[in-house]
Amino acid sequence: MKKNNMVAMILAGGRGSRLFDLTKKVAKPAVHYGGKYRIIDFPLSNCANSNIDTVGVLVQYESILLSSYSARAATWGLDSNGGGVYVLSPREKDEAGLDVYRGTADAITQNIDFLDQYDAEYVLVLSGDHIYKMNYEKMLEEHIKNNAEATIAVLEVPMSEASRFGIMNTDSEDRIVEFEEKPKNPKSNLASMGIYIFSYKTLRKFLKEDAKNPNSSHDFGKDLIPTYLNNGLKLMAYRFKGYWKDVGTISSLWEANMDLLDPNGELDLFDPSWKIYTEDVLTYPQIISEDAKVDNSLITQGACIEGEVVNSVIFTNAKVRKGAYVKDSVVMTGAVIGKDAKLYKCLVADDVRVPEGMVLGDPDSDEVLLVSRAYIAKAGVKHE
Amino acid sequence: MSNKVLGILNMEPNYVKVEGIEDYRPISAGSVLGRYRTIDFMMSNFTNSRIQDVKVYLKNRPRSLIEHIHNTNYNLNSKRGKIHLLYGEKEVINQAYNTDLNAFHDNMEYMDEVSPKYVIIAPSHFIFIQDFSVMLQYHLESGNDITILYQNVYDSNERYQNCDVLSLDDDKNITAFHKNRLKYKKGYISLETYIMTYELFKDLIDKGRSISSMYSLSDIVADSIEWLKVGGYHHTGRAACINNLKEYYDFNMAMKDSREMYQMFQDDWPIFTMTTDSCPTLYLKGSVVNDSLVGNGCRIEGSVIGSVIGRNVSIGKDSVVKDCVISPNVTIGDNVYLENAVVDRFAYINTVKELRGEKQKPLYIARRDNI
Repeated sequence: MKKNNMVAMILAGGRGSRLFDLTKKVAKPAVHYGGKYRIIDFPLSNCANSNIDTVGVLVQYESILLSSYSARAATWGLDSNGGGVYVLSPREKDEAGLDVYRGTADAITQNIDFLDQYDAEYVLVLSGDHIYKMNYEKMLEEHIKNNAEATIAVLEVPMSEASRFGIMNTDSEDRIVEFEEKPKNPKSNLASMGIYIFSYKTLRKFLKEDAKNPNSSHDFGKDLIPTYLNNGLKLMAYRFKGYWKDVGTISSLWEANMDLLDPNGELDLFDPSWKIYTEDVLTYPQIISEDAKVDNSLITQGACIEGEVVNSVIFTNAKVRKGAYVKDSVVMTGAVIGKDAKLYKCLVADDVRVPEGMVLGDPDSDEVLLVSRAYIAKAGVKHE
Repeated sequence: MSNKVLGILNMEPNYVKVEGIEDYRPISAGSVLGRYRTIDFMMSNFTNSRIQDVKVYLKNRPRSLIEHIHNTNYNLNSKRGKIHLLYGEKEVINQAYNTDLNAFHDNMEYMDEVSPKYVIIAPSHFIFIQDFSVMLQYHLESGNDITILYQNVYDSNERYQNCDVLSLDDDKNITAFHKNRLKYKKGYISLETYIMTYELFKDLIDKGRSISSMYSLSDIVADSIEWLKVGGYHHTGRAACINNLKEYYDFNMAMKDSREMYQMFQDDWPIFTMTTDSCPTLYLKGSVVNDSLVGNGCRIEGSVIGSVIGRNVSIGKDSVVKDCVISPNVTIGDNVYLENAVVDRFAYINTVKELRGEKQKPLYIARRDNI
C-alpha cells in the first residue's frame, strides 16, 4: 500500500509529575503498562497500523531510556526504506543557541526543518502518553474531505466531567467554533484528545508567527488553536468512539490496567488486525506453579506465580512467591512479591522487592497505593 | 581469521520419528515450551558462544523452518554474521540418499566461503545448553582430533533409543561406539556435537561417502577412532533427545517445574525465538490454572492443570486441559476434556468433548485438525 504523505510528531517530552516515583528517572511515555507494553507503544503502533512511516518523537524530560527505546523503529515495523522513527530532542542551531522546548507548539516549531525535509503535506500531532487504538488514516481522509486546515479528534465525555478537559464547541457540521480549556460551565461534552491533523503549509506559517510572539506560551491548545479560530480558518472535530485514556495519575494508570481484565472491554489487545507492538523480551513463558491460584488476571511472559493472584495485572518477569496474595493490584516489570506478603489495591513499580510477609494497601480503601522502592524503604516490615 | 569457527546445525538422523509433528516440519521447527522451536536452543548456543556463521541443514519440509529462521533475531551480528539454510538438493527427491554427508558435500562451496579453521556440528533434535567456546577450548587443550559432547545418563534403558553410546577410557578417549538398544540404565550418550578442524571435517565427508553413499557423519566418526584421537567432553545439565512423541511430551512436562526452568534459562544465556507480538494472557473469572507453563496471547476460561500451553491458545468455559502439550494457536471450545494429549498448531477442538491419551502414549491431534 502506498504510504500517505503525513508525518507524525509524538509529543513525549513531559514529565508526568503526578506519577511521582514512576517518572523519577523515565519520561511518562516510557512507563510500563498492560503487562508488557510501554505507553508510547500505543501511538507508535497506531502510526504503523495507519500506514504512517515517518514518526518524530519529541523528547525532553529524562530521555535516555525513551530515546533509545523509540529509536528501535523495527519494534513497530516503522523501519521501512525512507521512513523511520526519529528522536528529536532540543538541539543547538546555527542561528539560535540551545533552547528547551518551551511548549507543545514550540517543540514542533523547533523541528520545522525536519518536517520540511520530509516534504510533509500533513502533520499529525500526538501525545506520547495516551492509551487508545485509532486509525489516523481515516481521520486524514475526513480532514481532506472537509478541506479543513486542522482536524482535532474529540471524545464525548459525560457532561459532569467536561470541565476537566479542553472542550470543543462545534456547529451542526462539527466545525469547531470555540475552544475552551477546562471550562467551569461547559457548553459541550466534546473533549479534545490531543490528536491533531494540520495541513502543514498553514501550520508552518502560524508556528513561525507564534514563535515570535512574546505573549504566547507556545501551546497547541492555549495558543495555536485560538489563533486558527481568530483567523477564521476551518477547524473540524473528528469524533472518536472507543477506548481512550490519559494515564496521568497513579489511580488512572491503575484503572487503565484494570480495564484490561474485562474480557469484553473496549480496548481489545487480542485483535490481530490492530496489534500493539512492543519490545521483544527474552524470557521464558509464564510459570504458574503447583500451589498457584490465578483468577481474573492478566499475566505476561517471564512472570512466575507461586502464590495467589486475583483481579490483578502481572508484568514481564514479575514474581509472586509462595503464600503471597495479590488482589486488585498492578505488579510492574521485574517486581518481586515476597513470600506470604499481602497486597491490596497496590501499584508496585518496576523492580521493587516487597519483603516477605509485608502487608500493603487496604482492601476497603478507594486509594491506590503506589509501592515504590522509596516506599518500601520507609515502610519497614508489617506482619499480619 | 585464524581461529574462525563455523557452526553447523545438522539435519535429524534417521532414528528420529516424532509421530505426527514431523509430518509437517523437521523436529528442529517443532514447538516446545509454549513459545520456542527446538532449533532455538541450539541456535542460541551458537550465538551466545559468539559463533557468527551458522549453516542450518534440513532434509525436507522446509516451510516452517524457513519462516521461523527468517523471522527470528538470533543475535547474529547484522553485518558480519550469517545464517544459511541448506539441504541436499540432489538427494531431496530420493530420501534414501538424503544423508548429512551428501548434503555437506553438495553445499561445500557455501562452507568454504566462510574459510573456517574449526567446525562445531550440533544436532537439531537435542535440547541442551552448552557454551561451545568452552568446549572448543577443551578440544584445543586435549590434543583431540575430534571432541564429542556426551552426557552421563541413568535412564538409557528408557530413553535415547538408537543414539550413540560411547565407551571411554580414563583419559576420556572414546574406545568404542554402540547403538543404544535400551538394554542398560547407565551410559555415556553422545549428544552428537562434534568439534574438529574444517580440514578434517572435509576429509571425513569424502571418506564416509566413499565407504557408502548412505553413510552419515556419526558413522564415519565412529569408524575414525581407528586412526584418530577422538575424545569425549562431558555435558552437565539437562539434555533432552526429541526422537519420538513420548520424548517430546516428556520434555515439555518435565520443564513445568520452575526449578527446571530457572536452571535452563539463565540471564547470561538468553534463548532467542520469534516474536508474535501477542498480548499478555488473560485468565478469566473462574479459570483454574496451576502447575503449567503458559505462553502469551492466551484466553483461558477453563481449567489448565499440569500442561504446557503455547501462545495464542484459547480454552473455553468449563473445559479441562490436564497433562497436555498444546501448541500455539489452538482453540479449545467449551466443556471439552483433554488429557495426556499433544495438540498441534491451529487445531480446533469443539465437537468431540472428551479426548484422552496415556502418559506412556500421548494422543496426537494433527495440525489444523477440526475435531
